[in-house]
Amino acid sequence: MSYTLQYGQIWPYLPRLFDGAWIALQIAVLAFCGGLAIGTACAAVKSFGPRWLTRIVNVYVVFFTNTPQLVQIYFLYFALPDTGVLLSSFAAVLIGMTLNAGAYLTEIQRAGFESRRVSEMEAAEVLGFSRLQQIRYVILPHMARVLFPPLSNHFIIMTLGTSMAAVFGVEELTGQAFNINSLTFRSIEIFSVTALFYVALTLAASVLLAAIGRYVFRARTGLI
Amino acid sequence: MLKKLLAAGAVAIGLTGLTVPTSVEARTLDEIIKSGTIRVGVNPTLPPLGKFDDKNEIVGFDVDFASEIAKTLGVKLEVVQTGSPDRIPFVVSGKIDFVMGAMTRNPERAKVIDFTVPVHTEVLGVLTTKDKPFTDWKQFNDPSITFVQVRGSTPVKFIEDNLKNAKVTLLDNYPDAVRALAQGRGTAMIDVIDFMGEHMAKHKVEWKVVETPIDIYYCGLGVSKASTGLKDWLNVAIFELHRRGKTDEIWKKWFGMDMLKPVGVTPYF
Repeated sequence: MSYTLQYGQIWPYLPRLFDGAWIALQIAVLAFCGGLAIGTACAAVKSFGPRWLTRIVNVYVVFFTNTPQLVQIYFLYFALPDTGVLLSSFAAVLIGMTLNAGAYLTEIQRAGFESRRVSEMEAAEVLGFSRLQQIRYVILPHMARVLFPPLSNHFIIMTLGTSMAAVFGVEELTGQAFNINSLTFRSIEIFSVTALFYVALTLAASVLLAAIGRYVFRARTGLI
Repeated sequence: MLKKLLAAGAVAIGLTGLTVPTSVEARTLDEIIKSGTIRVGVNPTLPPLGKFDDKNEIVGFDVDFASEIAKTLGVKLEVVQTGSPDRIPFVVSGKIDFVMGAMTRNPERAKVIDFTVPVHTEVLGVLTTKDKPFTDWKQFNDPSITFVQVRGSTPVKFIEDNLKNAKVTLLDNYPDAVRALAQGRGTAMIDVIDFMGEHMAKHKVEWKVVETPIDIYYCGLGVSKASTGLKDWLNVAIFELHRRGKTDEIWKKWFGMDMLKPVGVTPYF
């Protein structure tokens, strides 16, 4: 049997893919920002915090980096309601992805904290900087340069990871692709176009991040 | 680097375009008989059409009916697990010879695959919970209503056409959809209520079925447009199974009652 490609059949559904891409991007950006905040806080705790707090952070990081993200969101979406907490599809996906990102970004950022030079810290101490000032003026700018490329990579991975939101009824890009597929059954056409949407999303994000990295943090990534 | 990426992407897309059209193959009737095995797609999340038994094997009306077909053809039966979204792609790509699993005949699907004469009917109803006041399916056409439905199933289109104002949450399979409804993630679900019984029983919720049969669908076997002669033979076999009362017998065994709206035997097809 030969398969005839009929892209014409799926053009009317393109707006749905754009809607889906927009939702995917929203999830990725929100979860990444949330994850970055958690990651920064946890990395700071691991580098400077008291031992009992470090232990708690360690448990969190080990738990979230050693279980699949899909299982984590499944837990939030389907298991939590049995304890009386009912999260909407979007909230469950967002919280799940944020917590997951937080754990990975903790590990990434810790490397940044530890890359600080002892001499710089000593200089800051001599100048009478408080701990907070040391973090704000010495450690963070240094970290940004070291961390920008791995953080950018993680953002790209998260953008692609938003596809699992479809399992929980969020109509993002993959969910819309599934829907259009169940209406038209033109699987090859739909999923090739969907793949192009993801390529466009991640390329746009890469270029934007690389530009930010280059001009704001003077960090070089592979793209520009 | 950017240029390289773009070039790689272009090559990859070009290759997909080139290789896909020749890689799909549906078997003809002769090839199936010669191989000695017929491959049938069954959805195990639609009890009692299909479900997993204690030994984790797929059983149900669909499996028994497909066994009768295989017996009549004189070949062995191989049951292949399918879900609602992938069942038609499986037929088109020749992974299975025909698909069961409540294959409602409709013009959209018939553009892509062929249908045999009907095997059974589906009577659509609205599933909701006792605490809700609804008595008629038309009351659900309201923005405050959220339906929980299975992606790729026929009622999704019914809701889009007839209950435009209601919201819809789409999940991947029946166990997840019924659980979501039980957890209060939606107001109602429209589907074939006969198939919901086992899922409903798993949740401590007071269910209510809004009594109106809102639509009746006819389900046949889905075959590839290229499986020469297979569809014609299946039509004859299905007619014979109806005429001998075998279909009704298997239905009663699994559903515990007669088909709500019988297909009726007709020698013209």
